[in-house]
Amino acid sequence: MSVFEGLRFRKVYSPIHSLDPRIKFIYVIVIFVIAIIFWQVIPLLILFFMQLPFVLLARVQKQWLRSLRGAAFLATFIFLLNILATYISSGFVLLAFDFERAFALTLRFVVLVESFSVFFLTTSPDHLGLALEETRVPYEFAFAFTTAVRFVPVLAEEAQTIMDAQKARGLELEKGSLLKRIRNYVPVLIPLIVSAIRRSLELAEAMESRAWGATKKRTNLYSLRLHRGDFALIAIIIGIIIVAAYVYIYFFASIPAITQFLQL
Amino acid sequence: MAIIEIKNLTYTYPGATKPSINDVSLKVEKGEFVLITGPSGCGKTTLCRCFNGLVPHFYQGELKGEISVAGLETLKHHTHEMARHVGLVFQNPENQLFALSIEKDVAFGLENLGVSQAEMRQKVDWALHQTGIYDIRERSPHEISGGQQQRVAIASVLAMQPEVIVLDEPTSFLDPLSAEKIFEVIYELNRKQGITVILVEHRLDLTAKYTDHLIVMDEGKIFFEGDPRDILNSEQTRLIGVGIPKATLLYQMLKKDGLNLNKTTPLASEELADQLLEALKKW
Repeated sequence: MSVFEGLRFRKVYSPIHSLDPRIKFIYVIVIFVIAIIFWQVIPLLILFFMQLPFVLLARVQKQWLRSLRGAAFLATFIFLLNILATYISSGFVLLAFDFERAFALTLRFVVLVESFSVFFLTTSPDHLGLALEETRVPYEFAFAFTTAVRFVPVLAEEAQTIMDAQKARGLELEKGSLLKRIRNYVPVLIPLIVSAIRRSLELAEAMESRAWGATKKRTNLYSLRLHRGDFALIAIIIGIIIVAAYVYIYFFASIPAITQFLQL
Repeated sequence: MAIIEIKNLTYTYPGATKPSINDVSLKVEKGEFVLITGPSGCGKTTLCRCFNGLVPHFYQGELKGEISVAGLETLKHHTHEMARHVGLVFQNPENQLFALSIEKDVAFGLENLGVSQAEMRQKVDWALHQTGIYDIRERSPHEISGGQQQRVAIASVLAMQPEVIVLDEPTSFLDPLSAEKIFEVIYELNRKQGITVILVEHRLDLTAKYTDHLIVMDEGKIFFEGDPRDILNSEQTRLIGVGIPKATLLYQMLKKDGLNLNKTTPLASEELADQLLEALKKW
């Protein structure tokens, strides 16, 4: 099933994939905050291009482009809405600078999507679950997360089987109006939900049999340890923060707009 | 002392009118390989759930009688306490693996018990080697075959080093070849590690040869218990709906037709082949 294809994580090894997810997450948050603080085009463009080495190092260009394409619709919407808002509020006059502003706000959105997608594309669910555990998130949540990821392909397969079975009995899924089509899926959804509930009971049984809840102090087969790459990323993060703070304090008002260069 | 002792056990699921297990008494000695068989709905699975306290702690319902496993009364000890002593392997391999890598799944029980990392690594590797899945330890459960998944399930209870392993129809989702491999793994564990095995199975063709303690259940009761050669040779066993091994059936037919075969009932084809060769030589 192509819909679920994107959720199926494949193990990839790259310098970015093996970074500690916690540090990567801090990096994403720092980029996020800086993108919110600055509204000028130039710093946002710099932020945008700063992600590229990560994408290339992790070799996830294809998936990354796909996620950007997914964001394109919303980005266009943001751009047009901004133009429209300034157009109305400024008494139906549009300056070149207004376009730049709208572009900057759109770019801000793109940077956010981009950095989060780099994080999720390069962090295995296993790693993420481990990070959740080590940051003292209650184990139940971390477990629920990894188990959900684990069962996505299983449920997808099951949905396919049920769909085939119902089609064999004459169910037509792709016929009729939109409402009718949605209703067509009811005979697929109900068995799927019932079997998922049954599955969850069996899972609970298996968990109990393997000493679930035996001690409060649960241990873990793996532990996250910081490696050289992680320290490098920490250095990069600190560098970014220093530069951003410096620019913000001394030059924030004097960041030139693109339109100034073009003398429009 | 017997490792499993059950006295007059009767259990009814909540909401059910008829008891699923009816006045069952059973003794299993340490290191035995016990095979339980019987038609569907005869109470085999319920009995398995009694061994580690899932019945009655997880399922509630009404339990009467006594049951102690590895010296612990399951009524007084919760399932997670029993887990150190009794490993339960279920029918569907898919629904007993939760982690995203095999190794992590095998470690799950030990993590719950709070075992230190170094000790855990050692036990996990040992269990992976015992079940022959060490080489695929970093794969994800949905990438491997059903037979391998079931071996992961066995390894994951084995890692906790229980005295007893209970397997509830572990091969019903598997093809015959993978099933045979699973049985070999189980038999090795029984023979080399001295782990008491309780195996619930329909495929007697492949498993009868491993045991000398067979239990036939029907309608929540133990119908026959003892030497598989006697039990499988009897007409009543066949009528209950037990899948008699083909070698045993052929032996019975040949015997009826007057062929003079050895007195011991064969359980596997190799045994029957030997007997036939012997008879042919005499001829």
